[in-house]
Amino acid sequence: MAFKDHRDFFEVLERESELARVKKEVDWDGEAGAISRKTFEKEGPALLFEKIKDYPEGYRISNGTSGTWGRVALSMMLPKKTPVRKIYKEYEERIDIKIPPKIVKKADAPCKENIMLGDKVDLNEFPAPMVHEGDGGRYIGTWDVVVNKDPETNWTNWGMYRFMVHTKNWLTGWPQSTSQLAFIMKKSYLPYNKPMPIAVVLGTDPLSHIVATAGIKTFEDEADYVGGLRGEPVELVKCETSDLLVPAHAEIIIEGELMPDQIAPDGPFGEYPGYRSGTMCAGVAVKVKAVTYRSEPIVTMIALGTPPDDSSIAASLTAAVAMKKGLLRHGIPITDVYVPPEGVTHLIVIGVTKGGTETARKVLDYFTLRRIMTNKHIIVDADVDVFNMAEVLHCFATRCHPGRGILYEWYEGRSNSLTPFYSPEERKKLKGVSVAFDSTWPPEWEKEIVPIKASFKTIYTKETIDKVNKNWESYGIKI
Amino acid sequence: MNEWQTFVRRFSDMKEGKREIFIKDLSPGKAKYNTKHVLATVSKSQKNLKNSDVLWIRGESGEKAPDPWYLTIEQELEEFVPGKPWEDVLEAVKKRESYRG
Repeated sequence: MAFKDHRDFFEVLERESELARVKKEVDWDGEAGAISRKTFEKEGPALLFEKIKDYPEGYRISNGTSGTWGRVALSMMLPKKTPVRKIYKEYEERIDIKIPPKIVKKADAPCKENIMLGDKVDLNEFPAPMVHEGDGGRYIGTWDVVVNKDPETNWTNWGMYRFMVHTKNWLTGWPQSTSQLAFIMKKSYLPYNKPMPIAVVLGTDPLSHIVATAGIKTFEDEADYVGGLRGEPVELVKCETSDLLVPAHAEIIIEGELMPDQIAPDGPFGEYPGYRSGTMCAGVAVKVKAVTYRSEPIVTMIALGTPPDDSSIAASLTAAVAMKKGLLRHGIPITDVYVPPEGVTHLIVIGVTKGGTETARKVLDYFTLRRIMTNKHIIVDADVDVFNMAEVLHCFATRCHPGRGILYEWYEGRSNSLTPFYSPEERKKLKGVSVAFDSTWPPEWEKEIVPIKASFKTIYTKETIDKVNKNWESYGIKI
Repeated sequence: MNEWQTFVRRFSDMKEGKREIFIKDLSPGKAKYNTKHVLATVSKSQKNLKNSDVLWIRGESGEKAPDPWYLTIEQELEEFVPGKPWEDVLEAVKKRESYRG
């Protein structure tokens, strides 16, 4: 049985010793964020803060439900100790299955237990955390699922975008201007000066949040893919103030309209690359029209920052699989793709069956075709395990020719302005550069001149390897 | 005396005089960090203003300026400024200030 909601998942996390309930009162203003950050950095458990300063009993904040590979495995109903490679494989297989969502009645939707409408809306009634000291505001939308819809095609997009409390009934946020949310706004609302309905969903089932981080193709509904991953449909319910459909079992749904002609400050915010860089005051403003929520609601937080955290782990999975499928569609002979969480989707490892400059160029072309979130791509031969960063680093250090093996490409209007090394001017113009590190042997080299890797598995004959393995215990060496 | 906070790209962008700014309320409680959009007179020195509040300045990375400024709120404005999504809010405000003179 798939997890229906955030609370179901907590039960499993608790059983697997992956959840800490914090019963001591904590301050939403920095303290909950600081505790969560320290916990991430120590690879500690998911957290449920049960007593929040200024808020009634029962109003809670959670953090880190997908912050380790073990918790991602559990969210996919796999054993906690499932190896990363197996989690990738399982996700890759399941993401090809689409199961459409099931629409339920309002009476069957826990997210409708309480409803604030119109003038009654007050976002201050929810314990939105001040995640980091010095952020631009209280980010209520961090580990969220933001829903918007293209009225021309009926495509419903789910994405994970930051939103902060501006006033009691306004949000400001920063879905990137190259995001799918922005694509729909620019395509179907801005030309007609119409506000776009959106819903910010907090605390739904874990796979919905994970898929919201994914680069699912344009015009494809993420809800169908979540159904496939879960093995059963996601239950959705209609919003109070728009025809958007949202997860029925979510903790909190903030319904609003993204304004086509009004703006207000967002940011800065400590973001997923692990820095608070200068992205602020260039986002969107949302007039909130309703909030529906479960009794004793939980605000889902991600105290974003240096890896690991939910973002770097979840995006490692969802981005790598999307990239693998894309590279294969482009006819690039790849073995596998790994996005190491430490590289925060800026650094990608691509294994190929046939290397060389031509392949490296094709890889770089693929990664710079549209909007560009990555910038460093290490291409390795098939003998290198892309999931083993020690092998990858050794390969990069020894096979990438500093003169011939580094290819790069500049572009404008498509880069990731959260990338910390870009100057303020580059960020503003979305000007960027991507590089491919060709760490493969040139395919034109004759076999007899290709250096032989001096490892146990590669420099000895099969007979010697078998003999050593067979006799290992008799040597008296414990490893 | 209330305390407020505002964000600028560079500390040097903050100028004395009558300014249109977005400020965040630093009063403790549930509404802490709520934003107001105001016309205010701002100054580096408290003695130039009557009934002034404290204004802390932060840069675009959230770095806090070591010394506070001061402000007197003269008028509350709407929660937003006119502009298209993803346009620069600070530039939009600057344009309005230049029209206003």
